[in-house]
Amino acid sequence: MSEKSSVEIVTEWDIVAVRQFGRNEAKEIGFGTVDQARITTAISELARNIYLYAKLGEIEIERLRDGDRKGIAIVAKDQGPGIQDIRQVMEDGYSTSGGLGAGLPGVKRLMDTIHVDSVVGRGTIIRAEKWLNT
Amino acid sequence: MNELQKQYTKILADYIEEQTERNLYIGQNFIRQLLQKNIAPEEVIHIHKSAVEEIIDDFPISLRHAYDFLIEVMVHYGLALSEHKSLLQQQEEMQLELQVATNIQNMILKSHVPKIDGVDVGMISVPARKMSGDYVHFIDDKNRYIGIAVADVVGKGIPAALCMSMVKYGMDSLDYSESEPERVLEVINRIVEKSVDDSMFVSMFYGRYDVETSTFAYGSAGHEPALHYKAASQTYEELVAKGLLLGILPDGNYEQHEVQLQQNDLVIMMTDGVTEIRTNLEMDAMAIITSIISEHKHERAQQIVDEVFKQLEKMQNFELSDDFTLVILKKN
Amino acid sequence: MNIIFQVQESEQVIRGMIEGELDTFTAPQLKEELEAMELAEGVYVEIDLSKLNYMDSTGLGVFVGFYKRAKREQASVKLVGLSSRLRRLFEITGLSDLMEIENEKRVELSNEGI
Repeated sequence: MSEKSSVEIVTEWDIVAVRQFGRNEAKEIGFGTVDQARITTAISELARNIYLYAKLGEIEIERLRDGDRKGIAIVAKDQGPGIQDIRQVMEDGYSTSGGLGAGLPGVKRLMDTIHVDSVVGRGTIIRAEKWLNT
Repeated sequence: MNELQKQYTKILADYIEEQTERNLYIGQNFIRQLLQKNIAPEEVIHIHKSAVEEIIDDFPISLRHAYDFLIEVMVHYGLALSEHKSLLQQQEEMQLELQVATNIQNMILKSHVPKIDGVDVGMISVPARKMSGDYVHFIDDKNRYIGIAVADVVGKGIPAALCMSMVKYGMDSLDYSESEPERVLEVINRIVEKSVDDSMFVSMFYGRYDVETSTFAYGSAGHEPALHYKAASQTYEELVAKGLLLGILPDGNYEQHEVQLQQNDLVIMMTDGVTEIRTNLEMDAMAIITSIISEHKHERAQQIVDEVFKQLEKMQNFELSDDFTLVILKKN
Repeated sequence: MNIIFQVQESEQVIRGMIEGELDTFTAPQLKEELEAMELAEGVYVEIDLSKLNYMDSTGLGVFVGFYKRAKREQASVKLVGLSSRLRRLFEITGLSDLMEIENEKRVELSNEGI
């Protein structure tokens, strides 16, 4: 079972809007202060990637439930240039180089899991999940 | 509340009560624990915030916001720290792999100094870094001929080592000790030219000693000339042969010359790690080497090369700036 | 340890001057600058080495790489101002038969002397 809402990313202010939305969701799900900060930072990184490199896209925030466990999913979708070598952008050290996909290893660290789908010239879908420790 | 939070709150409360060095010391020991358990910086600030809230009764709301702000910004610091840690781990893994590769290279490139009546051969080859760009190859039919190749790849480290393995396999493919030096150089040149990039090349001196006639035939592919020490006149002569470095043009033309060896004559082959030595002394490296050799010329070839290395190493304060290779052939 | 590479370009002639020490540490920098140089058929490149104090085999590699590219693109390269040490290095390696090189000259024009 899950509920979704999404925010379109067009201007830099949309990054702030989706951060705010994501933080509220995380708080309501029951994440503590530090995890709220981490989830918000992950949302921020993904939104910035869309804003800087894909120009147009959206971030979906999803509440997750699996039996007693609760969690949050961030899904970033864009129709941007796509990522050529996903394995490379997931490597440490790449993040400092800037460019599309920079910061993905960080998102992976902030969340529990990350899944990247990308077709060059078509766009990218990134899904990151984090579960509440029970 | 978890155990770490409890301990931290106690340590902080003690310090607020009494600002002693002892309490600070306890605090630092505690942080050591947090580091070991990989507690992120933002988490530490959170622990601190919770502790302060508990200890101080009238904790102002504005300070609470200030701590929340710090937690928020420290998330990035935590990311940088964990990336740094994972890069360190990668580096350790690479170092381990490099060590294995070095062992493999040493095994592949191990040279066996030939033992054959009438001639005495000594060799030393010391890499400046982990992997050597120098290589010595002996071809020996245990009877009449000894072939000696001394090679140097431009550059150092891993690329040079990979290139050298290729030269080694090339040498193995023409394992006939009676091969003419000019032929050997032509064949190796073709192999190297095909397979390396534009700014990579190899220099090689190749000599073939015929025990029956006491003649030493040699050719050079852009390599430092060998020296011929004549025992009778106690003089050194350069064994110069024209020839381009290996790996630059597909068809190399290599000169071949011959020299007759007399009893106690030496042929000294080396790489530019030997002659390019930057010492504090304003002396010609070649003059230093020949004077050391002259002093020890009565000893066995292996003892002479060891002595030259020992003294040159000392002159450079035991720091090698380049791979060092020296081979001496002595006619008994 | 440092290396300075200065270039003056006119239509078909490029003149460069290298100053400093060319070794394992500085060679990549020079390599990059030479690679950035645009070559074309008929272009003549002259590189002055009279202020190059030291060069090891890595430095030699940079010139060989540059020479090979120039040859492919039908440009010509000349190295000038070689000290006797450098000249010996080019002679031993056989490169002096391949590339055009010229000794240190214009002593009469400079006050520095050798």
